[in-house]
Amino acid sequence: MKPDPFKSALSLKNIEKRFPGVHALKAVSIEIRHGEVVGLVGENGAGKSTLMKILSGVYQPDSGSVEIAGKPVRFENAADANKKGIGMVFQEQSLLTNLTIGENIYLGNEAQFTRCGIVNWKALYAAASRQLVKVQLDVDPRMRASDLDFAGRQMVELAKALTLEEHASEHLVILLDEPTSVLERAEIDVLFARVRLLKSRASFIFVSHRLDEVLALSDRIYVMKDGAVVADLMAADANIPKLHHLMVGRSLQAEYYREPLQKPFKEEVVLELDNLSLGNAYKNVSFKLHSGEILGIAGVIGSGREELARTLAGFAPQNSGTIRIDSRNVRFLSPAEAVDAGIGYIPRERRVEGLVLFLSVAANITLADLENLTHCGLINAREESLIATNWVNRLKIRTPDIKTLCLNLSGGNQQKVVLAKWLNAKAKILVLDHPTRGLDVGAKEEVYELIRTVTSEGVAVILTSDTLEETIGLSHSLLMMRDGEITQIMSANPGHKPSQIDLIRHIV
Amino acid sequence: MQNTIAKFGSDRLRQWLPLATLVILVATVGIMEPIFLRPSTLLQLASDTAVLFILATGVTFVIMIGGIDLSIQSMASLASVIVALTIARLGYGAFLFAVTVGALTGLLSGLAHVRLKVPSFIATLAMGGVLFSTALVISRERSITLGIDDRSYQTWITGTVFGVPNVIVTGLIVLVIAHVLQAHTRFGRYSAAIGAGEPAAYASGVKVDRQKIFAYVLSATFAALAGVILAGRLASGSPTLAAELLLPSIAAVVVGGTAITGGVGSIWRTLVGALIISVVRIGMTFLGVNIFAQNIVFGAVLIVAVAVTIDRSKIPIVK
Repeated sequence: MKPDPFKSALSLKNIEKRFPGVHALKAVSIEIRHGEVVGLVGENGAGKSTLMKILSGVYQPDSGSVEIAGKPVRFENAADANKKGIGMVFQEQSLLTNLTIGENIYLGNEAQFTRCGIVNWKALYAAASRQLVKVQLDVDPRMRASDLDFAGRQMVELAKALTLEEHASEHLVILLDEPTSVLERAEIDVLFARVRLLKSRASFIFVSHRLDEVLALSDRIYVMKDGAVVADLMAADANIPKLHHLMVGRSLQAEYYREPLQKPFKEEVVLELDNLSLGNAYKNVSFKLHSGEILGIAGVIGSGREELARTLAGFAPQNSGTIRIDSRNVRFLSPAEAVDAGIGYIPRERRVEGLVLFLSVAANITLADLENLTHCGLINAREESLIATNWVNRLKIRTPDIKTLCLNLSGGNQQKVVLAKWLNAKAKILVLDHPTRGLDVGAKEEVYELIRTVTSEGVAVILTSDTLEETIGLSHSLLMMRDGEITQIMSANPGHKPSQIDLIRHIV
Repeated sequence: MQNTIAKFGSDRLRQWLPLATLVILVATVGIMEPIFLRPSTLLQLASDTAVLFILATGVTFVIMIGGIDLSIQSMASLASVIVALTIARLGYGAFLFAVTVGALTGLLSGLAHVRLKVPSFIATLAMGGVLFSTALVISRERSITLGIDDRSYQTWITGTVFGVPNVIVTGLIVLVIAHVLQAHTRFGRYSAAIGAGEPAAYASGVKVDRQKIFAYVLSATFAALAGVILAGRLASGSPTLAAELLLPSIAAVVVGGTAITGGVGSIWRTLVGALIISVVRIGMTFLGVNIFAQNIVFGAVLIVAVAVTIDRSKIPIVK
């Protein structure tokens, strides 16, 4: 199908969706034209996911219409949406890594290569090769998906989505839902280049938390807030502050990272690393962390900062060198030992390592410090609920009550529960591994405020973050790592923060 | 949010389902056979439930952490054989000896699972085989009847206190101890945390391995205790004494509402589950169902109970 830049590929008109107690989508209308990349931004809860689920056939709208090339359609389910020309590439990669690339591309659609129940593999792999050409991925389709890096896998996902064009009667529309979250910078550039190249074959809807990426890739951007589309603007006319303002209804200020609250840290050294090394991950890492200090570690994947954080949290003991806490040399063989030494770990995988989702708010808050609630072997339930209530109030954790399962809390409130757990355990050092990942802007600000509060009370923080902006904005001191080694140490006092460019030189 | 509200309602309902089932079952059997509701029959029911309850309680601890113990029936049988073989020499010490063997066995299963990283169903399946063969060998494949002289040692099992059989009293003591362990100690809390989210428990500083091993120790210890009581009640020990009890025990745990996937459950639920299994068993006897056909029912009940209790919105895929 030849793209016609004025022709509508997909349009939604007055889509309404209600769930009990929530008006998730309010008269949402969007249109995607041929060969267009449309960005979709909004805070968590703005309705992006619901909209994507309607587009991919997971939900049906209560009212309103979906039209493909001007004709009303109804998606019964995801397979039906596929058949009608809607492809999907999700953040959680859906490839089965134990299968080959070709098997993945045609998974569930092998019928075209099958005679009397026997699959003609030669034909399947030949067809898969043709799909890979479309995304310019030069690999053998007989290779296992596990042998590809994340970027390669994402290309295979794209190729898989593009197989739809062989059957769909209309122009393809491909949903890209946070496709960059597992990719590195260079890989993202490659992905974007491919997407631009494919605009002749398909239109794209691009959803991402990273506004700079949305601006870089999209032709046009829809901004959603509270279930409604609040703006539709050309990417050329947009910038980050403008989008941010539209998303949250107020502008991004210098106070975002609570810089005025950044107090000088104290003299007291709480943690000292001396020539710490772990295999190929990092080597000869030395630094001092002071009471009340936030030390941001900047580095790309493979810089060793992730492993360094894991070592301090007790997951991966160092091979050589020393960690000194309270003038004692330690080597943690398990997180339990790190916890005993006063370290609290806030992991990036909040829902896996941060919280026990199926336990209550109270049980999660007290989990790392049950010893102090136990008398004669029994947990004092009254004391526990008092403590939990106290933390819920102090950190303004929004939960119906302390017995609510953490599963039912929003991301920001879940993160506050994790923080409460470590504050309750009187952790003196917090290792924050991407502490605001997946949080919306409002929740991020609350987390920043809390980090400022606890450090002003003397807690020391080691921070590895998603963005340089956040690392610079929050930290007192910056440590840059490349290929497992420290390349530079800088201070980042309020008013004299280095720029991202200053850092990038030392990390790539 | 909308799902949360709906889920809250159904969770509440789900929680009371086992108890409601028990009441309905008792009422149904009672209407069909009024004899069933006489105090003497009910006491008999409770006595018969005690062994099953103790076995099920032990395995509840393991299921809570997300594991399974398939060795409990062999453990119980072996304990009965040990009692029968040693009671003449050790007297009361025979019971203690059998239970100690249970604790050590649980320690071994736990170590095999935790240290060697063998899945629990394999570790305990293998352990069950070892225990069964051990029982066969040391009993010389026979049922061993307790000597007349040794019967006096059994009165703590067969006697009564104010008309209440001692088995029931023992069952109640087990209930209290197990409930306190599960609901009011760090071990209980950590078990729930491990069952529901092991990585988070580990990252929070919980000594996961230690808690797991303790759960297997408890399971095997309670299984041995159940075997001891069985030996006392039947005045004999045999390598197949508890052979039909694994399926009903696990069914009791699950029917009571403890999640087979771990993290959610309680000893109270296991008590309700064990009573349900007992009432069904007696109901079938009243209805004249062949006693050997019972496990057909329990097998079906187990599958239905797991199917009903797994919350598909939280656990979409099981293996």
